[in-house]
Amino acid sequence: MAELRKRGLVTAVVCSDPFLALGKNQARVFGVPDLPLVVIPHPLGGLALEAVKERAAVATPRLIELVKERRA
Amino acid sequence: MTGIAELLEAPGAAIEAEDDFDAVNALVRERGWGDGLPIVPPTAERVRGMLAYCDRPLDEPVAKIAPRYGEATPLRLAANAVMAGCEPRYFPLLQLAIEAMCEEPFNLYAVQATTHLCAPLVIVNGPVARELDINSGHNAFGPGHRANATIGRAIRLALLNIGGATPGSGDMSTFGAPSKYSYLAAENEAESPWEPLHVERGFPAETSTVTVVGAECPHNVNDHESLSAEGILTTIAGTMGIAGANDVFYTAQPVVVMAPEHAATVASGGFSKTDAKRFLQEHANLPVGKFSKENIERRLRVTWKERYANAGMDALVYTVQKPEDIILVVIGGAGKHSAYIPTFGATRSVTHALKRRDGQHARSMEDFRRP
Repeated sequence: MAELRKRGLVTAVVCSDPFLALGKNQARVFGVPDLPLVVIPHPLGGLALEAVKERAAVATPRLIELVKERRA
Repeated sequence: MTGIAELLEAPGAAIEAEDDFDAVNALVRERGWGDGLPIVPPTAERVRGMLAYCDRPLDEPVAKIAPRYGEATPLRLAANAVMAGCEPRYFPLLQLAIEAMCEEPFNLYAVQATTHLCAPLVIVNGPVARELDINSGHNAFGPGHRANATIGRAIRLALLNIGGATPGSGDMSTFGAPSKYSYLAAENEAESPWEPLHVERGFPAETSTVTVVGAECPHNVNDHESLSAEGILTTIAGTMGIAGANDVFYTAQPVVVMAPEHAATVASGGFSKTDAKRFLQEHANLPVGKFSKENIERRLRVTWKERYANAGMDALVYTVQKPEDIILVVIGGAGKHSAYIPTFGATRSVTHALKRRDGQHARSMEDFRRP
């Protein structure tokens, strides 16, 4: 993901809230401290389809924003 | 080779602290370093003493430790070895274990950062295990031996302080495990009826090695009744067939530890190590129906699609895919016990031989002593 970011592609890492600190640390380690982290409510795994859709609803607007920012 | 005094002059290489045990430990806590236990203050003098058994350049990384990918230089490792309470002659083994677990197949990033409770298990083979009095007998995974306790602890301190495996931001383990304080033992080669692990992996018997495994804590296998190889192996295999272990979803390399009495019973039945592994692989299984409906649909039928896409509830799921992937070692003292050590799954064990800087196998820790 860091490599894609460095190449200028629209990138984002989806993570659930307890993993935000790890995500920020790793973005710094890999030289992309501005890597967008799309935070969704925990958990990410072990979900029924309805709960997956709820998280997608949180993440999707942010992803659209990122694409628009890139195009602008 | 740059000297220690010069290296400690570099910005950030050393910090000033009051020359007081409690003050240094308060500073360590304040900075968020360490494993929570008090440390031995790593003064320049103690670090210099630790490096008496290091034949590498002090500032050249031997590895980069995930998830921070911090550079594990001998100087930094020595500071952690001092903090852990190591004797200087232990130092080459610490360095070797760190090198081994930073090899790509081990997948240290995932082992460190996962929610799973794994930790790098270090199994020591060869003559240096005896030279350093690394426990391979009673309580080998427990307390009581300085080498086991402090080399294992130094590894953990390096994983924390250099690698950044800070709980909650670099190490996301849901539970953690007592093995994250220290997890190192030697194989009980003297009481094993079989060739030791390093010989099995192609190293001469007189070399010394470390084998690292991304592992859970040992799960005991009690069998005081079986009198035959098949009996002991059936009990061990029965313990390995569980639905909640990562191993069943990966091409995993779990560890089977036999204490000498169980190993003797198995060997007396004419079983070589290869035979025992084959038996365990065939019998360590459980039917599909023992898994939850969701795990069947989302994991088994997906991960092992070719085998289980249309399998019925009686089809067998194997804990280990290939017999040779079982790491079978003899460790422990008297008693009718074995242990199954499940793994993280997404990791491969790595064995490294103890070598001098010139590439020759080391015969003794004295080979590393600086002139």
